[in-house]
Amino acid sequence: MASTMTQGRKKITLQIAGMTCASCVAHNEEALKELPGVEKVVVNLATGKASVEYDPGRVTLADMRKAVSDIGYEVVLDTARFKITGMTCASCVANNEKAIGELLGVGKVTVNLATETAQVEYAPDITSLAEIRKAVKEIGYGVEDVVGGQEGLDKEREARQKDIRFQLINLIISGTLGTLVMIGMLQPYWFFPNFVPAWLNNKVVLFFLTTPIVFGPGRQFFVKSWGGLKHGVTDMNLLYATGIGAAYFIAVINTFFPDAGFGGKEVTFYEAAALLTAFIILGRYLEAVTRGRTSEAIRRLMKLQPKRARVVRDGQETEIPAEEVQIDDILTVRPGEAIPVDGIVTEGYSSVDQSMITGESIPVEKKAGDEVIGATMNKTGAFKFRATRVGKDTALSQIIRLVEEAQTTKAPIQKIADKVAGRFILGVHALALMAFLFWFFIGFNLWFTPQSHLILTPYQLTAIGAFGFAFIISVTVLVISCPCAVGLATPSAIMAGSGKGAEYGILFKGADAIEATSKLQVVIFDKTGTLTKGEPSVTDVIAKSGDEKEVLRLAAVAEKNSEHPLGEAIVRGARQRGLEPEDADSFNAIPGHGVEAQLKGRNILLGNRKLMAERKVPLDNLLQEAERLEQAGKTAMFVAADGKAAGIVAVADTLKETSALAVEELHRMGLEVAMITGDNRRTAEAIASQVGIDRVLAEVLPENKAEEVKKLQQEGKTVAMVGDGINDAPALAQADVGIAIGSGTDIAKETGQVILMKDDLLDVVAGMQVARATIRKVKENLFWAFGYNTLAIPLGFGLLYPFFQQVVSPELAALLMATSSLSVTLNTLRMRGYVPPVRRRAPPGAALHAAPAASTAST
Amino acid sequence: MKNINVTSAIIYTGISLLAAGLFLLATSAGTYTIVERVGGAAWVFFLSTIILMPIIIPLVKRKLGG
Repeated sequence: MASTMTQGRKKITLQIAGMTCASCVAHNEEALKELPGVEKVVVNLATGKASVEYDPGRVTLADMRKAVSDIGYEVVLDTARFKITGMTCASCVANNEKAIGELLGVGKVTVNLATETAQVEYAPDITSLAEIRKAVKEIGYGVEDVVGGQEGLDKEREARQKDIRFQLINLIISGTLGTLVMIGMLQPYWFFPNFVPAWLNNKVVLFFLTTPIVFGPGRQFFVKSWGGLKHGVTDMNLLYATGIGAAYFIAVINTFFPDAGFGGKEVTFYEAAALLTAFIILGRYLEAVTRGRTSEAIRRLMKLQPKRARVVRDGQETEIPAEEVQIDDILTVRPGEAIPVDGIVTEGYSSVDQSMITGESIPVEKKAGDEVIGATMNKTGAFKFRATRVGKDTALSQIIRLVEEAQTTKAPIQKIADKVAGRFILGVHALALMAFLFWFFIGFNLWFTPQSHLILTPYQLTAIGAFGFAFIISVTVLVISCPCAVGLATPSAIMAGSGKGAEYGILFKGADAIEATSKLQVVIFDKTGTLTKGEPSVTDVIAKSGDEKEVLRLAAVAEKNSEHPLGEAIVRGARQRGLEPEDADSFNAIPGHGVEAQLKGRNILLGNRKLMAERKVPLDNLLQEAERLEQAGKTAMFVAADGKAAGIVAVADTLKETSALAVEELHRMGLEVAMITGDNRRTAEAIASQVGIDRVLAEVLPENKAEEVKKLQQEGKTVAMVGDGINDAPALAQADVGIAIGSGTDIAKETGQVILMKDDLLDVVAGMQVARATIRKVKENLFWAFGYNTLAIPLGFGLLYPFFQQVVSPELAALLMATSSLSVTLNTLRMRGYVPPVRRRAPPGAALHAAPAASTAST
Repeated sequence: MKNINVTSAIIYTGISLLAAGLFLLATSAGTYTIVERVGGAAWVFFLSTIILMPIIIPLVKRKLGG
């Protein structure tokens, strides 16, 4: 991609992916030409490039990209992720997004306050990464590289601790001196004259106590706000700087020029400047302490990574750092040790606790050929395994990456909140100006009385004039209206929610996935392999007269050499019941009918009605039994020995243990549940009735599943599709939320916005509960944040003054503002103890009750 | 870039000065002290500048193609 300037217009070259023919060229040219501001477009199929001449004032790269993607192609952009330091509020987010987004070659930018990261999609030939970083620095923020893994975590912790330490020192200075200033100001009142020396109330002493606060701990607000302001951006720091600066300015004037008309020596407000700074810093400090805690889930995951591995090389067992393990290395694991990387067991037997990765509480047995997951805990036995995935490819690394990425993204609800907060600062300053003008020209003359008080302070505003009074209210409005809580409301909850999901083996691919999951109305389950186990098994054995075991044994003998799935199910069923079928003397498959076998002179038949009719075997009452079984969706096979009917063996795909409970829980949550299958309607309905499915989408070919999802969406419903992330990929992609179940360890390959690590349908329920809880938390936080502003602004504006003659002081405004930020962060931290209700009732991985079902065909 | 900054500064300072001037004019109708008038005008100028800077700078940037 490249860009050149031609007389006010610009020329850009876009790399377009997905073009295959001349009509693609025409489509892209047409789509781009339709954009207002695009003057000329030439698309080249051979190079896959589009040359566009346009007016940058009327059309942006993002518009072009959208136009191309709307018709099914893609403008290829690079993605960069870096850390932005110095952000404190939602307006910082908006400022950075604006500064980066305004660059010519930037297609999309997402800045996250909680993770302090920016994700930028850009055309490197038009705008380099260095230019993007420069744009951020120019508006007063810092840029650092994102470091992943443990190193990144250490760096992040180090930075946070540095910030905590910095704010703590500031808090100690401003708190100590501020308290002295407060005591000094109160010296003439109440009981203070008894133990506070009079000199502490001297305004010059107060000046010397307050000045180090304003220019020490308070300096950060002036420096940061000026950095932004000179580039045309405003943030919370500006509100603080204006508030602190104005209070300090008045105090200094009234100290050294008491007759200047600003209220005189009795209205110095040193405590306002001092305590305002102290309370803002208190808020910053508490925020720095609590913000780190919302990313605990990632930290816990990172800690799981084993440090050492025991590898067998040249017949020798050597201990090496886990990151040095290579693919195909043979590793040994002893009881009680963590498994260092992903692999396949080659030797030995053990049970492994996988709860830390899959959320499954019961240890899983592992034998040769089974897959083991790195970072899980070996319990009982020792075994050897071959490494299949190491370093950044292990399941744990993929999970960490996915959770990190999810935390960088922005939910639609957050985009609105950020937009509002971004405009808020300007609005607040405009409001402060309005408040000043109103109280200066109108309010003061109408309502001011010399008995006026500042709320929660002992002194009266007797000597204050119109300017001083209007000025206090104006400064209070600036401080009290600060929307700092708004910036944290959503990202902190999203971080907590995505981390909570990961704890239960539920991975959300982005904040939008969490929000979409919380709004679902219909859940469609794929049948085979999702609702059912995906392999047939023996469900019923009926003997005409006599022993059921003998019926099953005969059937198993006949099918012992069969490769048919139903035959394999019968042999497996017999073995599970302790019967080892003997080898038949002869075996004959009769296509479309069944099988015939000879055993020690006995003739065994196993098959359908046709086979029995052809061999003239009377079935009598077995026919009724067979019909009953078939109505329940099972495949009934008749067994005959030496020309006489012996009984029936019924085989069906069985429901997973948790299917019925999951459907019941989804109903309890008010969701409609549907099942999609290639089975015939009778069979499908038989299964659906056993689990309580509301809607059956039967006889759907695999390639038409996405179409069925679309039909439901056209009814205006928000639809989730639960299925195999690979086979059901098109349907998962079509759904509003695709939920890939039982993904195992190769998470990156999965389609779908939600990935369930283990094969348990209750995780679908748990995922929805986590998503709903997260979005509920977001809404609560936004309510607290905006609710605070809604109540505080009129209060700060002096709405109550005409009735009570009391005004909110700037320092009280600062305390209220800090409390609002803290309430949001603490509310989010409540998520830490959250357990999805379905998991409170049923521990992860626990088999709750068996719910056998049946099927004759597979989807 | 320098051109943008200067142009923007002229515009927002000009409008803010105008706002402060209007404030002074309005105070002439009342019985305000000189300090109240000047102090008030300074505060109006200051807040107006803060309000206008983030509006004017991007506008000028867009106009001058920065």
